[in-house]
Amino acid sequence: MITLILSNLSVNIQAIYPEIILSLTLVALVIFDLIFNKQKKFLPLISIIGLFFAFIFVIPEFGTSRSAFPTSENNSLLSIDSFSAFFKGLIIIASVFVVLFSMSSNEIKSCPDRQGEYYSLMFGMIIGMFFLVSANDLILIYLSIELLSLSSYVLAGFVKTSIRNSEASLKYIIYGSTSSGIMLFGISILYGITGSTNLFEINSVLGFSNVPQITFLISILMIFTGIGFKISIVPFHFWTPDIYEGAPLPITAFLSVASKAAGFAVLIRFIEITFAESLSKSGFWQLIPYVNWQNLLVLFSIITMTFGNFAALWQDNLKRLLAYSSIAHAGYLMLGVAVLSDQGLTAVLIYFSIYLFMNLGAFFIVMLIANKINSENIDDYRGLGYSIPFLSTSLAIFLVSLTGLPPTAGFIGKLYIFFALVDAKMIVVAIIALLNTVVALYYYIRVLKVMFLERTDKHVEIEISPLNFVIILALLAPTLIFGVYFTPLVNIAKNSIQLLGF
Amino acid sequence: MLTEFGKVFIFILIAILFVIFIVYVAKLIRPARPTTEKLKTYECGENPEGSPWIKFNIRFYVVALIFLIFDVEVVLLIPWALVYKNFGIAGFSVGLIFLLLLGLGMAYEWRKGDLEWEKPKVAPPVVKPNENNLDKKKEMVEV
Repeated sequence: MITLILSNLSVNIQAIYPEIILSLTLVALVIFDLIFNKQKKFLPLISIIGLFFAFIFVIPEFGTSRSAFPTSENNSLLSIDSFSAFFKGLIIIASVFVVLFSMSSNEIKSCPDRQGEYYSLMFGMIIGMFFLVSANDLILIYLSIELLSLSSYVLAGFVKTSIRNSEASLKYIIYGSTSSGIMLFGISILYGITGSTNLFEINSVLGFSNVPQITFLISILMIFTGIGFKISIVPFHFWTPDIYEGAPLPITAFLSVASKAAGFAVLIRFIEITFAESLSKSGFWQLIPYVNWQNLLVLFSIITMTFGNFAALWQDNLKRLLAYSSIAHAGYLMLGVAVLSDQGLTAVLIYFSIYLFMNLGAFFIVMLIANKINSENIDDYRGLGYSIPFLSTSLAIFLVSLTGLPPTAGFIGKLYIFFALVDAKMIVVAIIALLNTVVALYYYIRVLKVMFLERTDKHVEIEISPLNFVIILALLAPTLIFGVYFTPLVNIAKNSIQLLGF
Repeated sequence: MLTEFGKVFIFILIAILFVIFIVYVAKLIRPARPTTEKLKTYECGENPEGSPWIKFNIRFYVVALIFLIFDVEVVLLIPWALVYKNFGIAGFSVGLIFLLLLGLGMAYEWRKGDLEWEKPKVAPPVVKPNENNLDKKKEMVEV
């Protein structure tokens, strides 16, 4: 194996240029922080430059389909394809926004002596996610999930003096280590059955030999637990509200978008590569019928979205509400996966790129308001529509988009998911999802009602710095533009569903 | 029929029952005359002082962590040192990068002051406070 990798090292190294750049940026951040520990304001700049160069090297990966770091003649650790490049692009965009958020977050500013750690840990998360979206091997999947989780445990409790932060971090580490332990157990059982950790090799073993049915199902469910924890679908969602509420807001936004994207990428790759039986022209995946994936995923997604939406109805804290809404969105995204077709996958990619902008936007405005009024309670938002019209209107647009109402991009995301469902003749599921959207309407609009229809004597002044103004516009523009002109996005998504080996 | 593991299971069962049986029989036979000395926690013959649940300085854990990192480093480096010649410059640089990153971690700890051992401040002797000389005591401490 080592000789295989070393024999054409330069080719393999070329395949992970973005990851190498990110690692170098991490090292640069640590060294810069150690040498010039007074100049904190350069740290975000270094991070953004690093992310920019990584993005430049991600672009040529679109349209390619090759493997890197071979473990045997036909199999490899990493697959560099359009699918992983798409998710890497999403992760970089989310990271740039989160770095910009952190610059104006009061919570992050309150520990000036640990800024270097903040940005370098964030890069640890990004590197973990990069390897996660292109990993082909269960061991690599596990290692990158651990890298991602360990960094995020620390970041969730970044403000040491805040009890809320410490509580979130402790809860996260307990839930996280349990679920990753279960996942590792599942991986070991799967290795025991098939004799390999490589997804392609497992696939070929499953193709021509009988495996014990129950043991296999148990191992798959255990692996599913680990991935389901990352994307917070319902039986494994308990951490989500507490950690989203407790963690610093930029980190909450990052967890809800980037970490979820990486989780979905690895779930899709795991299902499609491990269980693919044959290629079919119709675009529907033919899976090995050991597990009835469609029923399993539809069951999980319906429970997830129904639970998320109904639990959100009773929330008074906006951060908690957004946490439950992100659980509900994970349910919609799962539906796109559950269709098990190329069309469904396209819908997931479209939904994710829209979800990125609207969710980050909502969290950013909640953060700006919380910086000023020190509260995320919906009651404290009373009458804000009159004292800070720009922020409130932007929040309204993001929330309407999260609901999925027509002039905004959220509608397009849901539309494509429903198209995929109807094309797969899953009408009942589509109707349940539609009814869920109606429930979601109630709690999103309640926030708007409090902001715009209730008056108060209290007057809140929030000055928006030019940078923050630009960030809000940069998040608003896609949310509105993709709602009316979405052809380019759909085309990119259609070209990005190509996985290695298909 | 019994498998090999079945025999092991019977062995475990017998072992557990045997221990319970012996302890119970000993309880029946032995004389029981407890005294204060006999019931005390055994601390090598000394009289026990204070609670055993004392707080350790958190620095111990930092030192333990640093030790662990460098211990693992040795475990990883020995196999590398045995074979790196077979892989030429690539094999050498892999180990070098690993060492550089570890060195960076060491530099980080050093710079952040995690290697400096904070000594507990020795409190100056003060007059035992009571209602009357509480103000006086404050002055004394400031002096």
